[in-house]
Amino acid sequence: MNRPDKFTADAIHARPNRRDFLWRLGGGLGGIALVQLLAESGSLAPASAAEPRAVRPLDHPAKAKRVVQFFMSGAASQCDLFDYKPELIKRNGQPWDPGEKVELFQSTPGACMASPWAWKQYGECGHWMSDLVPHLATCVDDIAFIHSMVSKSNVHGPATFMQNTGFVLPGFPSMGAWISYGLGSMTDELPTFVVLPDARGFPPNGPGNWSAGFLPATHQGTLIRPSAPNPIADLFPPPSARYLTADSQRDGRRLLKQLNEQHLAGRDDDSRLDARIASYELAARLQLSAPEVLDIANETEATRRMYGLDQELTQDFGRNCLIARRLLERGVRFVQVWSGADNGFPRRNWDSHEDLARDHAVMGQSMDQPAAALIKDLKARGMLDDTIVIWTTEFGRMPCSQGSKGRDHNPFAFTSWLAGGGIRGGASYGQSDEWSYKAVVNPTYCYDLHATVLHLLGLDHQRLTFRHNGIDRRLTDVHGSVIREILA
Amino acid sequence: MPNNRLAHRRPVTSALRIAAPALLLLQLLGSMTARGETPNFQRDVAPILQQHCLRCHNPSKASGGLDLSTTKSALAGGESGQVIVPGRPDDSLLIAYVTGEKPEMPKESPPLAKAAVDALRHWIAEGAAWPEGLVLTERRAIDGNWWSLVPPAKVDVPRLDSPWIRTPVDAFILAELKAHDLAPAPEADRRTLIRRLTYDLHGLPPGPQEIDAYLADTRDDAYEQLVDRLLASPRYGERWGRHWLDVVHFGESHGYDKDKPRPNAWPYRDYVIRSFNLDIPYDVFAVQQVAGDVLFPADPWATVATGFIAAGPWDFVGHVELREGTVDKDIARSNDRDDMVANTMSTFTSLTVHCARCHDHKFDPISQADYYALQAVFAGVDRADRPYELDPRLAQLRSQLAAERSQCTARLSALRQQMAKIEAPEIAAVDYRLKELAAELTSLPQSEDAAPRRKEIERQTASAREARQKLIEARASQSLRADLAAAERQLQSVDDRIAKLPKPTMVYAGANRFDPQGTFSAAATPRPIYLLARGDVRNRGPLVEPSAPRCVQGPDPQLHVDDSNIEGQRRAALARWLADPRNALVRRSIVNRVWQYHFGAGIVDTPNDFGRMGSAPSHPALLEWLAQWFAAGGHSLKKLHKLLLTSAVYRQSSKSDAHGTQIDSSNRLLWRMNRQRLDAECIHDAILAVSGKLDLTMGGPSVQQFFFKDDHSPVYDYARYDVDDPRGWRRSVYRFLVRSVPDPFMECLDCADPSIMTPKRNATLTSIQALALLNNPFVVRQAELFAERLRAISSEASGQIEAAYRLALARNPTDEERRALADYVARHGLENLCRLIFNSNEFVFID
Repeated sequence: MNRPDKFTADAIHARPNRRDFLWRLGGGLGGIALVQLLAESGSLAPASAAEPRAVRPLDHPAKAKRVVQFFMSGAASQCDLFDYKPELIKRNGQPWDPGEKVELFQSTPGACMASPWAWKQYGECGHWMSDLVPHLATCVDDIAFIHSMVSKSNVHGPATFMQNTGFVLPGFPSMGAWISYGLGSMTDELPTFVVLPDARGFPPNGPGNWSAGFLPATHQGTLIRPSAPNPIADLFPPPSARYLTADSQRDGRRLLKQLNEQHLAGRDDDSRLDARIASYELAARLQLSAPEVLDIANETEATRRMYGLDQELTQDFGRNCLIARRLLERGVRFVQVWSGADNGFPRRNWDSHEDLARDHAVMGQSMDQPAAALIKDLKARGMLDDTIVIWTTEFGRMPCSQGSKGRDHNPFAFTSWLAGGGIRGGASYGQSDEWSYKAVVNPTYCYDLHATVLHLLGLDHQRLTFRHNGIDRRLTDVHGSVIREILA
Repeated sequence: MPNNRLAHRRPVTSALRIAAPALLLLQLLGSMTARGETPNFQRDVAPILQQHCLRCHNPSKASGGLDLSTTKSALAGGESGQVIVPGRPDDSLLIAYVTGEKPEMPKESPPLAKAAVDALRHWIAEGAAWPEGLVLTERRAIDGNWWSLVPPAKVDVPRLDSPWIRTPVDAFILAELKAHDLAPAPEADRRTLIRRLTYDLHGLPPGPQEIDAYLADTRDDAYEQLVDRLLASPRYGERWGRHWLDVVHFGESHGYDKDKPRPNAWPYRDYVIRSFNLDIPYDVFAVQQVAGDVLFPADPWATVATGFIAAGPWDFVGHVELREGTVDKDIARSNDRDDMVANTMSTFTSLTVHCARCHDHKFDPISQADYYALQAVFAGVDRADRPYELDPRLAQLRSQLAAERSQCTARLSALRQQMAKIEAPEIAAVDYRLKELAAELTSLPQSEDAAPRRKEIERQTASAREARQKLIEARASQSLRADLAAAERQLQSVDDRIAKLPKPTMVYAGANRFDPQGTFSAAATPRPIYLLARGDVRNRGPLVEPSAPRCVQGPDPQLHVDDSNIEGQRRAALARWLADPRNALVRRSIVNRVWQYHFGAGIVDTPNDFGRMGSAPSHPALLEWLAQWFAAGGHSLKKLHKLLLTSAVYRQSSKSDAHGTQIDSSNRLLWRMNRQRLDAECIHDAILAVSGKLDLTMGGPSVQQFFFKDDHSPVYDYARYDVDDPRGWRRSVYRFLVRSVPDPFMECLDCADPSIMTPKRNATLTSIQALALLNNPFVVRQAELFAERLRAISSEASGQIEAAYRLALARNPTDEERRALADYVARHGLENLCRLIFNSNEFVFID
């Protein structure tokens, strides 16, 4: 490795004593047995349990048990990545007339604009991919594309909510929270639902995108920021608190447990008190396992290269993808990896209104290699069979130009794709019109995508419900059907 | 319909208090009949056809050849001929079928009510209008006689002879316990009671002196005195105001993308706290929040109250940036009104009317027409900053100057009109040139290439206007010019005086006059509201006028809006409906909420849903009795608190027993008190109270406990807030509530998400929560400050430990605890112990 890996330079390793401290902290873990006892005997009721348990048995056998979702914030252009339209190339620069009034977000429609990237066919399926995504192009036989996605909003905030929660309003649980609620945890060492935001910041709506909404807070996405000094909030005390030593914390945990157990006397029918004692044991385990999962020092150089950790452009997203794999390996149920932050200037997400060739180049190149690496890595480790990989964005972009070099929002057609457990690789579902302007064959809302993911996980999207303010709420609202055409 | 007895007993003054127009309206109610109105097919006729006819007379079955699903098929009639003859009810078979001694229709069902027959007859008489394209489908008749919707019935307090009973509430509870072979738990000890009461009413721990004083109080009514003292403290309004802010989903940023802060939302929070502390009668409290600006124009707090309307999220991009006339603009507005409707109806009536946005309510008798009629109530109101003036002298001065200013402008415009009458060929020539310029401007393309030309046209237009003005002035008479100059000076002088006044204070509230921002501007008259098929803004049905849900029995759903073109009149009418003495639902809703916060579970455990999908009341008679008692006592929340808190039920121990657990493990019947986990605010505030750092300053702008950077999407970073900044040591009801980025510490303790109405908090226990209480810089720092406080109290470890327990847990440590804690302190220091206490189960659970 020619240059120091940025990750090894971050907080955990920057302070040599820290790591030492973390490991010594493990010495005081005397209470794991209790947790297991509680968990195994079922005395941790779902609603009050420290870590979520499934609310009910599966509706049908599952094809997959884990999910990793890539979310391209700002609206990634389908017609510059995956949706090949020869007509658009032919008519490049000519006036665009789709034969109806077009209502755009910011602008009035400009001329036809061919993608600045060339297109080639790949794989046995022969899917066309643009030169912006050469690495993902080598994965097309594992991918099922949905070229006919549509959104109910062409505004980033509501549309981003919709892809995450099925609703254009704030306050609803995200897909990860629903899956945590429906399936529960596979590990006591790590959270069930983890979110890795873009290193440059939060997407529109912020943590509202991975909120538990009205579901219990235990189902909300846990934020991990691998490059931050404190990758998980409050995982460890602030360094300023000198009174907290490894010894004081170890003894403190023991004493706390003792006090709490004495407090149980006469209250021993209240399972919440037991659950809270257990939550401190789990917290201690998280303190051990989280630094371990974030520590990529033991990954081979080949792996690092594969994820692009050796290149400036790909290292941030690459590190998140690599950590996503490590989280999935260790039993995390749902990992959401964001490409792109908010819609500010200079552009730091996919919202390329001004100069698509310039701005999509950066976003595309930073995403392509790491995302492909994760698919290949999961496959090599035999995990792709039971892991669903989702790639999505809030809506697409117009085939016509905005201000000659950009593209405006397009809620009428965009592409999402899936790969992995239960998905028929090489499939394409739905079509947009000759421009990539409107979905014309099998227009698909996120409801169907969500229903399909739940289906593969063994859940019936119509039966995964939670009563809130008088309504049995679902991830799919009152819509959705499983897209059988892309199932293996 | 037998009327509410209590309505008759209720003093007239309470109606007067609402506002004189309300009283007038109440008197008018009886004299109005449906006869005088144009029949409303969807509201009055369609439901009858849907519930009683469509089951057989639908397109697929068409019994007797008759299909009543569309206007065409209905008018075509069936095998027996024409059933509807527009204008001639007596010649219409439909009427013949459903009337008479033994009506032939509806088959195998009871005959239609007289009102229904009258509605059909009236509709046919007036021409049998049927909105274009409207297709009816069968609707299951939903029984309107649901417990929450019916008028109050007389409730007798169970007659039981038991020394346990302290209040009528106890009699209701005991009767149920006895019926289930249960007995109440013994009374809790005094330490437990004062801790329970103080957290319940103040959200804070009792201080050691308060505990000692109560323990030493030998008066018979020591407990009642304690309740009175706690209710009289301003801490009460802060605690209970926070509950209210949960219910109404109050937040201080817009939410969505571009989650801008609302720097003027806080006055509403202060209004809520103030109202609880002043014990404003609940019906007035309700009316003020929906239409205080209209009904109490002289009371500035009543305007602040309408912060309620603006409490929820708002789509900045949708309202400010989207172009007028686009579909997404309509969606943004429809969503906005939906939030106002849902907030109002959930909060005050515990009805889920928002379920009827896309289709008729599936379980409760609420139609889509009912729902959109409520959208029509809010059709002219937006969320924006609006001025209010708490200083009465300043308010008077402002209105006086405003009057002067409008006089000046009237005079000025009269003079300018005289000027405008001046004509001359030169002026006409300039006018022609101006027209040419305007025409060219509109014909220019929107492209960047045209920008220089656009600029040039704008420059020429300005100079032509200037030339025109000069031409006119040269031709005006001496006196006219002098008058004009004088009037201008006068206006300037008024404006100068206005400018010298302090800037008006603003509140983010319901508003229909505000400065436009982007494409966001006030509606001059209420926006038209259509019934939207499947809730889709592109699928407009008929226009809808404001009205209240018909399912609530008692108050008149016809709102009789004074002037429907004036936005505020619509809200005022709904507010009067909420406060109508016959509206029992509103009182049932609030007494249940109060009960829930005291006991940990409501009598109805779904406080925002009193419909069929909600949970059934555990003690229906008690709920009804409480609602009537509450109304009879003048809607005083403090009286209600006292009634509940002084009951024997409330004073029970929370200790469990095997017998009770076996019969009623969830304790719905209250055979013991419920143990409660402290909520996020209580934990935060209790830590500060115990460390001695709690700053009890009330009111004012919220404390921003985060790093803030305004940007395209503003940045809110809690990790970068200095935990030693004493502004963060105020009560958490004063923290600034950001929607998109909630405070992670409070969030993991289940604080309310201001994007959704939170009638009831979750109380989860997670490892992330454990980590926050162990390691959050706020807790870690407060533990140090707590230790400092203890050292000031005692120099000995034993004294410090004792003080720590008394402050944090309201008791003395046991000998065993003393030994273990002293040992820990000796090895690791007092700070470590303090942090530990904040993390103990005993600290976060209240017996």
